[in-house]
Amino acid sequence: MSSAPTVLELKGITKRFPGVVANDSVDFDLRRGEVHALLGENGAGKSTLMNVLYGLYQPDEGEISVHGKPVSIRSPKDAIDLGIGMVHQHFMLIPVMTVAENIVLATEPKKAGVLLDYEAAVKRAEDIARTFNFSINPRARVQNIGVGQQQRVEILKALYRGADILILDEPTAVLTPQETRELFGILRSLTNEGMSVIFITHKLNEVLEIADRITVLRRGKMIETFSREGATQETLARSMVGREVLLRVEKTPAQPGEKVLEVRDLKVLDDRQLEAVKGVSFDVCAGEIVGLAGVDGNGQSELVDALTGLRKPVDGKVIVSGKDVTGQGARASFDAGEGHIPEDRHRRGLVLDFTLAENIALHDYRKAPDSKFGWLFPGRLTERAKRLIKEFDVRGGGPQTHAEALSGGNQQKVVIAREVGRNPNALVAAQPTRGLDVGAIEFVHQRLVAERDEGKAVLLVSLELDEILSLSDRILVIYEGRIVGEYGSEATDEQLGIAMTGGAGEEAA
Amino acid sequence: MIDRARTPRSVGIAGIALGIFAFWVTVPPFTTRFFGIPVVLGLAALGLGAAALVQGERRLGSFALGFGFIGMLGGLWAQGVDEATLKDVLTAGLLASTLRFATPLAFAAMGGIFSERSGVVNIGLEGMMLTGAFFAVWGSIWSGSWVVGLLMAMVFGALLALIHAFFSIHLRADQIVSGFAVNFLALGVTGYLFSDLYSSGIETNDVSRVPTLSLDFLDDIPGIGAFLHDVFGGLSLLVWLMFLAVGLTYVVLFRTPLGLRIRSVGEHPRAADTVGISVYAIRYLAVTTSGVLAALGGAFLSIGFVGTFSENMTSGRGFIALAAVIFGKWRPGLAFLATLLFGFGFALAIPLQREAGISENLVSTFPYILTLVAVAGLIGRSIPPAADGRPYVKQ
Amino acid sequence: MSEATPSEPTPEPGLPRITNIFYERIGGALVPLAATALAFLIGGLVVLITGHNPLTAYRAIFNGTGFNWFFPWVTGDERRIAAKDLQETLRVTTPLILTALAVAFAFRAGLFNIGGQGQYWVGFMAALFVGTHLHSLPRPLHVIVGLGAGIVGGMLWGGIAGFLRATSGAHEVITTIMLNWIAIFGGQYLYELGGPLQGTNASLPRSDVIDASAKLWVWWGTFPGLHVGIFIAVAALVVYTLILNRTTLGFGIRAVGFNPDAAAYSGIPVRRNYFLALAIAGGFAGIAGAIDVLGFKYSIDTSDFGSGIAFTGIAVALLGRNKPVGIFFAALLFAGLQVGTSSRNLDPAIFPPELATDLSTMIQALVIFFVAADVLIIYIWRLRRHLKVGRPLKEEPAKT
Repeated sequence: MSSAPTVLELKGITKRFPGVVANDSVDFDLRRGEVHALLGENGAGKSTLMNVLYGLYQPDEGEISVHGKPVSIRSPKDAIDLGIGMVHQHFMLIPVMTVAENIVLATEPKKAGVLLDYEAAVKRAEDIARTFNFSINPRARVQNIGVGQQQRVEILKALYRGADILILDEPTAVLTPQETRELFGILRSLTNEGMSVIFITHKLNEVLEIADRITVLRRGKMIETFSREGATQETLARSMVGREVLLRVEKTPAQPGEKVLEVRDLKVLDDRQLEAVKGVSFDVCAGEIVGLAGVDGNGQSELVDALTGLRKPVDGKVIVSGKDVTGQGARASFDAGEGHIPEDRHRRGLVLDFTLAENIALHDYRKAPDSKFGWLFPGRLTERAKRLIKEFDVRGGGPQTHAEALSGGNQQKVVIAREVGRNPNALVAAQPTRGLDVGAIEFVHQRLVAERDEGKAVLLVSLELDEILSLSDRILVIYEGRIVGEYGSEATDEQLGIAMTGGAGEEAA
Repeated sequence: MIDRARTPRSVGIAGIALGIFAFWVTVPPFTTRFFGIPVVLGLAALGLGAAALVQGERRLGSFALGFGFIGMLGGLWAQGVDEATLKDVLTAGLLASTLRFATPLAFAAMGGIFSERSGVVNIGLEGMMLTGAFFAVWGSIWSGSWVVGLLMAMVFGALLALIHAFFSIHLRADQIVSGFAVNFLALGVTGYLFSDLYSSGIETNDVSRVPTLSLDFLDDIPGIGAFLHDVFGGLSLLVWLMFLAVGLTYVVLFRTPLGLRIRSVGEHPRAADTVGISVYAIRYLAVTTSGVLAALGGAFLSIGFVGTFSENMTSGRGFIALAAVIFGKWRPGLAFLATLLFGFGFALAIPLQREAGISENLVSTFPYILTLVAVAGLIGRSIPPAADGRPYVKQ
Repeated sequence: MSEATPSEPTPEPGLPRITNIFYERIGGALVPLAATALAFLIGGLVVLITGHNPLTAYRAIFNGTGFNWFFPWVTGDERRIAAKDLQETLRVTTPLILTALAVAFAFRAGLFNIGGQGQYWVGFMAALFVGTHLHSLPRPLHVIVGLGAGIVGGMLWGGIAGFLRATSGAHEVITTIMLNWIAIFGGQYLYELGGPLQGTNASLPRSDVIDASAKLWVWWGTFPGLHVGIFIAVAALVVYTLILNRTTLGFGIRAVGFNPDAAAYSGIPVRRNYFLALAIAGGFAGIAGAIDVLGFKYSIDTSDFGSGIAFTGIAVALLGRNKPVGIFFAALLFAGLQVGTSSRNLDPAIFPPELATDLSTMIQALVIFFVAADVLIIYIWRLRRHLKVGRPLKEEPAKT
């Protein structure tokens, strides 16, 4: 393997953003026919480095050479011309267009000089798919095909443009274990054909399964390059984080009390009016954390919306502390003693242009002591904010700071301060650590356990299996809108993985 | 499933048909004079519309409600008017007139579609029309040729559009505010130049007007020939150009590589960027095109129709065109149908006032009310291009 | 760094939500002041190109505003004329402040209310109706009922757009424009020859004059002078600030304006707030119309409907950045521009007033452009000063 020629070399790449050095003199090289993983935490600078390589950012310093020739990549077009293709984490596909249209975009076949030759586009898409042994329907609209299929279209798009260097940015984040295996199969056959692949991820087990070499980035710096043979999960983890990682959160066994959150036969429609939650029932008791595991898009978001009053279920009941709040709206849910950490703190959790005091008052500003007869008392908002900011160790600002000015971790602390500070009976936490760094993740995890120990009922919805396994006292698995399994805290990755892909359907029923 | 999906649709369509029928039976050749008939038909249409609404068919349901209501009122009104008057109001000329009123709207709507399909909201259509209207007159007087007038309209419409493009694409100004400023600027500039250059008013004789195409051969077609001749026989060349523009807009957007790129930029600019399409270039092109088309619409108002210019002569037509774009779901054909509907509203005002003695001011509100109702009933369900209105930031 | 990027605003059907680009991006008055200066500069260029002297034109316009009344060296007849001009300028400032509030208030809910003009006319006509038809009311009561009718009329007209936005998602930019034209043509119909509200003189397309008991008090100068409306406008600025910052209603409206998803998540009724915001905004424009009719117009002629005072109000709100103090000074500026360019005050030998009116429209447009494109102004500012102002330009590509 080491005899294979180097197809790509990055030397001393530095990229600065206002206040941040995203890449600090990073070296990286790629050999023909290998899968080279780029490993690092969120914010380590992996995506920045690849965006530099793909011409989306210009490096402040450093050199790039492709096939031994120094090159300057000023735009994605330059990158494409050099044979570099990229599969972005958020797919660069146009949902309302067909697969064929997406594949030929910008290099469209023509007829009569000016007109788009759609039939030729379909044929070209079929040809390229056949060459690499993919099965796709070129006439299908992208929005109507599955995520795994969409990813294949992205890969085909790159191959169609003649890529021999393929960058995959967190490609498994949206895939089921089954689809991940298929992807790995595709990657192996591509490297056998002489393609070279850069595989960006933060998942250790995947790296060890697919990569030939592994380069670790931490805080913008290149730390080390391992070969697969010399690497273990532990060495990689230490290199990635810079210290020993806690794999499990310290906690005592749960002592569940009475039922606080009761869900009965809940059926919920998604935005397209299709049934996304198909009759779900479960309870969360005081003093336990129930983890809801599942691959993204299996009805979790709709379920959480229905639990918190944001979406009216078509059937079923949601009961909080004995009170029926089904379809009564968000205010009723909050008033019944529910707390809700939403999955997207920028879109929902915070009003970024509001001060911290206002954000913390978001649910209760209409009640005393915040206001009386519609008249607001900003001083009281500030007082409470001051107290919670201290209690939850929010750094980077005071009550009058705008939420926008805080870092992601501190923003999440504000959300948690608001939800927990209201002293709810039940707490619904949807992906509470998404996009946070390790320190903030630990804070959130400890806080959730502390809430449990205080006798709150906690429902944790997460796409990260590790998070579910380390926090939950009981684990439910959701698949295609149904709860397909219930496990104790001693469940294994494999058990859950099978259930999450529908493998445990009969067993759980 | 299929039955459930179809039934409310057909209920809605039946409601619309009944609503039209409620009016139709009261006008020649039927001329029903019993008041119960339009009332019963209209109420039935309302009932069907409500039924469709209840079953979740919002679009057709609200259409049926609107048609039922208008059909019933129209029918009752028509019964109170003598037959000769009715014949004078509802003529083939009314259809020709509808086309004339729809023409400026359709030009501007096609412009709006280009701009919005590329992701730039253009509420500056109004100002671009006004600019076209003024510079068409200016060019036409100065050169003595309507061709130059049209060219001037297009050039200055494009220039104004470029300003909007620069502010909303490069400077990432709020596109609605920028478009609003475009309207204001056009109002000021055309007003200023108009007062400066033509302080004593414009002699309509000095204005070279876009010629009318006389299609006398239509008369020779047996049967419907006379009718066709009345509708299409004496239309301005610009009306025909408008048909061409609608067709071309469709072909360019949906049948050419350029159209695919424009739409991709409007749906997902980052995706377009990553395959090497210049988002900015495409958006500039599309916005400029929208200025050219809107200006042609304005030129029709001035040198195609009245033969003069007056301050703020577009009076909200750019916004009606924008409503037509949304009403037509950003599709050229549907948007054109919407402009016909709004054009009919304008066209109806004239004979209603002339023949039936209804206040001109009152009937002038009609197209605006129609637009309001259309927008309110339907827009909520129209899905715009995904990146419409969002500035694109290159990384 | 790769901290999940803030989600982009979700598109509304039809047109996008107006973004809060004018807020707090950079502090202070730099952008409005620079925008005004640039706009006047370019306006001056237009004057120059079309063969007039911009300096004398601007000076003549300034002297027509009455602002020279504040100069102690202006005395005698000149001072008397200046006082009269200043009264007129402040009389125009009043509806400008109020129609600007109609824009600003809706704006805080994330809505762009272009319908101030229609709301103004409906308020105007409602107050006019009270002034001409309710005869037996004593003076303070008659005035109050008239003003109240104006508020209700404006709220109704704004509320229609708000209702449509809330129930069907119809974009307020289109609905309010349509409502403007409906109010204008509808109003002309009411007072035209043979119209239902035409006055007693059957040969004139105009209303009767309101009763003396409905007229606002004039406290400075002789008729038309300056009526008490300016105090109502200043009070409205205070009310605007209090509603937004000190009431739960304002809290909800601001939350909806900044982030409707977060507001909905928190249980704040987004649709209801859309409706309330446009209705209250309409109330501000409605009282502007009421003050004008009760203050000095006293009646209406169908030809009056051509005026576009509320459109200037939009420019005022944008230039004033929706802040009370900013709105006050921006309203003074545009009122001065309007009065200074009126045919009564501007000497045609220096600059033709009919051009000046359009010049002021142009300047307004340019001001809106430059305020909207604050990036441009900050950029120019940086070039000038070679130093950084405020925080770095958001997401500006780091090219040098």
